[in-house]
Amino acid sequence: MASKTASRDIITLRGSAAIVSEFFGYAANSILYNRGVYPEESFVKVKKYGLPMLLTQDEGVKSFIANLTAQLSEWLESGKLQRIVLVIMSKSTNEVLERWNFSIETNSEVVETGVSKEKSDKEIMREIQAIMRQIASSITYLPCLDETCVFDVLAYTDKDVAVPFTWIESDPKLIANPQMVKLHSFDTKIHKVNTLVSYKNDEWDEQ
Amino acid sequence: MLIRTPPPKRPRAAAMETGATGSPPPAAGSDRTLVIYEDPLSATPPPAAGSDRTLVIYEDPPSATPPQLDSSSSHQMLCTYQCRQLVKADFLVALSSAEKEARDCQSSLEAMNEKFSKVEAERKKYLDQFLYTEQELAAAKGREQSLQEQLLKDVTDSQERFRKQIESYSKLEVKLQSEMNLRMKAESSAASAEEDVGILKEKLSHLSESTGRGRRCLESEIEQLKGDSKLSATRISAELERMEFRANNAEKESQLLKEQLEDSQKQFKECLHLKGELEKKLSSFTFQEVTPSPTESHILVKHLQEELRNYEAEVREARKLKSSHENIELLKEKLLEEKGRRERAESELSKLQEIQLSMKKLEDELSFWKLVTKDIPGVSCSEDLPVKFAALQREVIDGTMKVGEVNARLKQLEVALDSAQIDKQKAEAEAALAKEKAEVLKSEVKQIQTMLTMVTDERDNLRNIVNELKKSNSGEAGNQEASGTGTLIQGLESCIEKKECYIKELETSLSVQKEANNCQYEEVKLLNERLNNEAKRIKSLERENDRLRSEISLLESKLGHGDFSAANTKVLRMVNTLAVDNEAKQTIEALRTELQKTKERLQAVEELKSQSGDSGKLVDSYISGKITQLKEQIATLEKREERYKTVFADRISVFRRACCEIFGYKIVMDDQQRPNGIPVTRFTLQSIYAQSDDEKLEFEYESGNTNILANSYSSQREISQQVEIYIRKLNSIPAFTANLTVESFNRRTLS
Repeated sequence: MASKTASRDIITLRGSAAIVSEFFGYAANSILYNRGVYPEESFVKVKKYGLPMLLTQDEGVKSFIANLTAQLSEWLESGKLQRIVLVIMSKSTNEVLERWNFSIETNSEVVETGVSKEKSDKEIMREIQAIMRQIASSITYLPCLDETCVFDVLAYTDKDVAVPFTWIESDPKLIANPQMVKLHSFDTKIHKVNTLVSYKNDEWDEQ
Repeated sequence: MLIRTPPPKRPRAAAMETGATGSPPPAAGSDRTLVIYEDPLSATPPPAAGSDRTLVIYEDPPSATPPQLDSSSSHQMLCTYQCRQLVKADFLVALSSAEKEARDCQSSLEAMNEKFSKVEAERKKYLDQFLYTEQELAAAKGREQSLQEQLLKDVTDSQERFRKQIESYSKLEVKLQSEMNLRMKAESSAASAEEDVGILKEKLSHLSESTGRGRRCLESEIEQLKGDSKLSATRISAELERMEFRANNAEKESQLLKEQLEDSQKQFKECLHLKGELEKKLSSFTFQEVTPSPTESHILVKHLQEELRNYEAEVREARKLKSSHENIELLKEKLLEEKGRRERAESELSKLQEIQLSMKKLEDELSFWKLVTKDIPGVSCSEDLPVKFAALQREVIDGTMKVGEVNARLKQLEVALDSAQIDKQKAEAEAALAKEKAEVLKSEVKQIQTMLTMVTDERDNLRNIVNELKKSNSGEAGNQEASGTGTLIQGLESCIEKKECYIKELETSLSVQKEANNCQYEEVKLLNERLNNEAKRIKSLERENDRLRSEISLLESKLGHGDFSAANTKVLRMVNTLAVDNEAKQTIEALRTELQKTKERLQAVEELKSQSGDSGKLVDSYISGKITQLKEQIATLEKREERYKTVFADRISVFRRACCEIFGYKIVMDDQQRPNGIPVTRFTLQSIYAQSDDEKLEFEYESGNTNILANSYSSQREISQQVEIYIRKLNSIPAFTANLTVESFNRRTLS
């Protein structure tokens, strides 16, 4: 067993924001692949977090996610981001079928004073890896999405945040009486990300 | 006890022989002692072997008794036999008594032996007890040492704590004293500030009184001013009415003049027409050269000349009418201005009171500040007052802040002092407890020491007893034993007493230990109660923990559901979603196609335009659209111009009014032209203190030069003198006008 006195890496606010936004990018891609929102052939395999991760090659989705992660990184650096929610909706009825909730707890001391924290990068990677595995294994209990779906990303921010040009205020797109499954979380000592998936009760299950 | 073996008995016959030959037997009843002795030196041969040892009575060899007394020897032999028999009897008696004594001694010896054994047992017992007490003593010593060490430690700890407490207390006392001093200082400064505030209040009251007086004076002045303003208002209204009448008259005149002008214009036109005809006629007359009579021609010419003159006069009249018409128009404008002025004056009358109030306030403030500047030390002018007030306010604020800070610090110190006192009390209690403990331990130590001494004494006594016993056993049994047993009994009794005392002391120490145990038991009870309380608290905390966990789970469920607080959070979504992107692209493409189509149409139109004129219609329509746009722009611009004109008119009227009120002259500006065509601006000034309308000054302004014009008013003696002095000599029109204003004001006030 590895010694617990592993080396600790210095993590700054910017670095932590980059880690979290990158994680979200890969998680979104993984969710889109696993839930079949986009066809499998539009994804390519890359190595990340010690796992084979799938990234979309659709230019539109790529640019969308890239712009999104850039904005999230900015909000994370300012400590204004509370939650990111990836919503999967039916294309025909616009009904919300799944909500992938990534709630973020920010260390306000770091944001105010700019101090850095120490944590092993390997430890963080291990935690993220666990979450990615859980996302991949979520197909075992999540209901099948038989219809064509689209996705959207909601950002829960502080009230005083200036709304960027390409963003608008929106409703939270809630699910009525959802089923919830709490997944693992990871912590960079500056940002703690808790993952939770809530989904609409499947009719078969209700029966 | 060693029993010496009796000497071997000599045979009695030998003894008798020796005795017969020897000395005469002792007389009965003699004082000679019977000694049983074995003479080792006697030559008498020992009895035959195997003979029994017999008691030989030896008598002292006679001392040189003559051997002569053979006759008496038989007598002597009888005597000696009797004596011997007596002696024998005595001896037997003595022997029996001795045997009795020996038996008694033996019994006593046995008794003594028994006693000795008992004493030995007791000695052993006491030895064991002694050893036990020695062990206890050693243990007690060890305990005493440990207790002493503990006590020393406790005492040193308590002393150190006490010292520290005393040091902290002394420091706190020093701090308290310093804080008290600060507080005193702050209180004194606050008192001085309060005194200053009281003084200022008194001054304020004085000032208020003086301001009241000033206000009354000002009110009276204001009443006067009101009267003056009313008078001026009535005058203005009268003037306005006059002006209205004049304006009405002027209007009527203008209307009449207009009619006249129209008539004259008609006449003028007729005249011109006639003139033209006449000229034609004249020219025709000159062509024909018909010879009418010269007098007729002269008459005609004269007539025509007269007509010409008439017409010229009429033309002049028409021109005059025209100029008068222009004057009328000017008068109309003036009338309008006067109307406006009247309206403004009426409005200003309503504002007069407000202005008066503001005047009052300003004057009150002025007088107040003037008085204040006089009364307040360190202030020379009104500008220093705000600075002084700011400084005073800052001082008061600083003082109050300091007082607040000092109070806060005092409270903190009081709290610290209370805590220090509590700590001190605790320390004192602990010290007292420690002292008590020390005293208890000391008493225990003393007890143990006394016990030790007692035990050592006991031990010594026991040793002495043992030694005495030993001595008594080594010596004769009788008397010494009796005395020894007595001392032994006494010693034993004393030991018993000491033991009893020791037992009592042990009992007391036991009771003390019991009390200590009770105290500890009570402490244990208290601790148990505390434990129970802590357990209850822990249970309540666990319940709260469970409740919080349930709340957390509920909140997590809410979080999972997506609920949020609208006061702190807002939900944002990217507009440039993929669907919108597509829509935007589609719209962009549609717009591009439309643009291309419009471009093609435009090209086609241009081609058509170049080819035929029908395209002019398109251009005309385009131009008409442009024209309508331009017309609209023009309308807006005209409206804007009118608005600017009205605003300018308002502003210029405000400026004129302000100038009038500030400088005391109503100024009327006219733009005129000199006969040589140079434009000139004429200003007519009328003082507000003028007593008649004729009192007007006229100035002419041309390219930076202002000249006074002569008129009826300026040609008056007084005015002309002033003109000479101020304008001609001193070249100062403002001084002239100011002087005139003051003189008019004085004249007015005096009147």
